[in-house]
Amino acid sequence: MLLEVRDLHVEFRTRDGVARAVNGVNYGVDEGQTLAVLGESGSGKSVTAQAIMGILDMPPGRITGGEILFKGQDLLKLKGEERRKIRGAGMAMIFQDALSSLNPVLSVGDQLGEMFVVHRGLSKKDARARAVELMDRVRIPAAKERVRDYPHQFSGGMRQRIMIAMALALEPSLIIADEPTTALDVTVQAQVMDLLAELRRELDMGLILITHDLGVVADVADRIAVMYAGRIVESAPVHDIYKAPAHPYTRGLLDSIPRLDQKGQELYAIKGLPPNLMNIPPGCAFNPRCPMARDVCRTDVPPLYDVEPSDGIRMSACHFWRECLDDRVNS
Amino acid sequence: MPEPQPPQPHVPGGGREPRLSGGGRGPQLSGGGRGPQLSGGGRGPQLSGGGRAAEDGAIAATGMGGAMDLATSEGETLEKGLGNTDNGGPSDKARSLWSDAWRDLRRNPVFIISGLVILFLVVISLWPSLIASGNPLKCDLSKAQQGSGPGHPFGYDGQGCDVYTRTVYGARISIAVGVCATLGVALLGSVLGGLAGFFGGGWDSVLSRITDVFFAIPVVLGGLVLLSVVTNNSVWPVIGFMVLLGWPQISRIARGAVITAKQNDYVQAARALGASNSRMLLRHITPNAVAPVIVVATIALGTYIALEATLSYLGVGLKPPSVSWGIDISAASPYIRNAPHALLWPSGALAVTVLAFIMLGDAVRDALDPKLR
Repeated sequence: MLLEVRDLHVEFRTRDGVARAVNGVNYGVDEGQTLAVLGESGSGKSVTAQAIMGILDMPPGRITGGEILFKGQDLLKLKGEERRKIRGAGMAMIFQDALSSLNPVLSVGDQLGEMFVVHRGLSKKDARARAVELMDRVRIPAAKERVRDYPHQFSGGMRQRIMIAMALALEPSLIIADEPTTALDVTVQAQVMDLLAELRRELDMGLILITHDLGVVADVADRIAVMYAGRIVESAPVHDIYKAPAHPYTRGLLDSIPRLDQKGQELYAIKGLPPNLMNIPPGCAFNPRCPMARDVCRTDVPPLYDVEPSDGIRMSACHFWRECLDDRVNS
Repeated sequence: MPEPQPPQPHVPGGGREPRLSGGGRGPQLSGGGRGPQLSGGGRGPQLSGGGRAAEDGAIAATGMGGAMDLATSEGETLEKGLGNTDNGGPSDKARSLWSDAWRDLRRNPVFIISGLVILFLVVISLWPSLIASGNPLKCDLSKAQQGSGPGHPFGYDGQGCDVYTRTVYGARISIAVGVCATLGVALLGSVLGGLAGFFGGGWDSVLSRITDVFFAIPVVLGGLVLLSVVTNNSVWPVIGFMVLLGWPQISRIARGAVITAKQNDYVQAARALGASNSRMLLRHITPNAVAPVIVVATIALGTYIALEATLSYLGVGLKPPSVSWGIDISAASPYIRNAPHALLWPSGALAVTVLAFIMLGDAVRDALDPKLR
């Protein structure tokens, strides 16, 4: 396993109390594999990613438990400087909003070249040549001339491709993309996702794709992990989830995608709001919004059940995952 | 908006790496280079989505006013020197924020005018005898308050000293006080404030309380108390006093600017890509936080020159026989009815100096913000 997150706990200490953002997350990704992490805002998917990268703001954030194994090494036990050297070279992150993720006062060539200056100790001139190469690689037209341009002189899609180029610069073995297409319009989204998938294939990297867009996921992901209130509620190969979700929350998410054959009907929405992280409901965190909730859901936290056939590939954190699967098959 | 023009045809075919790039028009094919083949596998050329590629092309072509003609000229250089594009000609030199800002400034008339005025002031404060042959301390009481005459274009002040000579010589102290106090304040304030803003925590709280304490000291009262015990009649106690009372202002602004810049996604992104603290602070935060400091510092420069005049007026700043605009203004103010020229010339010089520095600060700020380019 390239990256394995084991029982990770993250909390934020605020003036109003302790927000438990991540409560025992387990997931892993192999070389050449794409894991999609799905969830609403505040489900802990970005916080988990920041904890992996080591860019969590601490304080107020605090990692209270668990381990993050990258190539067998527990990142949480590393010193700050060792950790920094892994960032960028071993793992890199692509952010949501490429405009604000690029420094407005530095030309894109400077920013791309910086990767080589920081990690490889290249001279400025060599770094610039590599920057042009990278821009070619992510298909920025006329890279040689545009390497001196500033971020605001590029279109949104091109900026995101430059972000991708920065992340790929040192050919890391793991890329974390935090909603890489949310700020883009639909046609550009497809281009950026295709580019990302293609580069991942070529460089045989692991990719963690954080998103709340189920449409994006279906094309590129191998596995999906669905998060709710800081926990993984379902984890499965992508086609299994689309065929028959084993958790009512996943089912709710799938049902709330607009469909072409659903003309004139009201779009399904999961009722209620995501839980307040300072006050997560006892039992299953999803129980107040769950159509299938029973008494046991309000008292017992469901473990991650191994969904049949029991081979460790599919997991669901629902006491009634069997019913959930059956429902879908019957309807 | 500049009109969209057809993209620059650009075929960098030279060097070791066979590369074909279609200048932004239609699908982009980039083979070769180092590492695995890119567009060969899987899906073929990606950017064939007509409208999109055209848009990219248009943006690439229009660029921005200045960037466009630069790109054109560099395109030509590249064509000429195809063989050694990898070694890079002079045009390949890295363009930094500061060199870009300098390029902008050279074209800005506001910068040129204010720069020339300041240059002139600096020159005459270094070598006042270049344009004033007289001695500012040689006064003839019999000529007190006389208007302009031959060889003495500004007339005489209340002590019968030549106003022109004194105004020229006064520039030295005003410029020295203004520039030194501003440099000291800006350095001390921005380093302390910037570090406090970047690292936060306990030191930040301590520093913030210290700045609050200094803010509570009234400048003039502080000057009366602190400077009245100083017997040294040079500019340094005055400059020291201004730095002592002035740094909290810059420190607070620098701290705020650094905190704002620190929260930007690109700082987080730089961190995620392995930048160290010092690199983030120097390369990503400082250029984005320096603009407000520059603006406030240049405005403060004017107020320091005026403050020196105030302190001299109160008798705790510089004292005669030092020559300063502040001393002359305070000496001439009682005779404003009889001899207005003795007040107007040094005041005018003061106003022009302050204005020039403020204009300079404005131009520099604009040049440092690439979004205005």
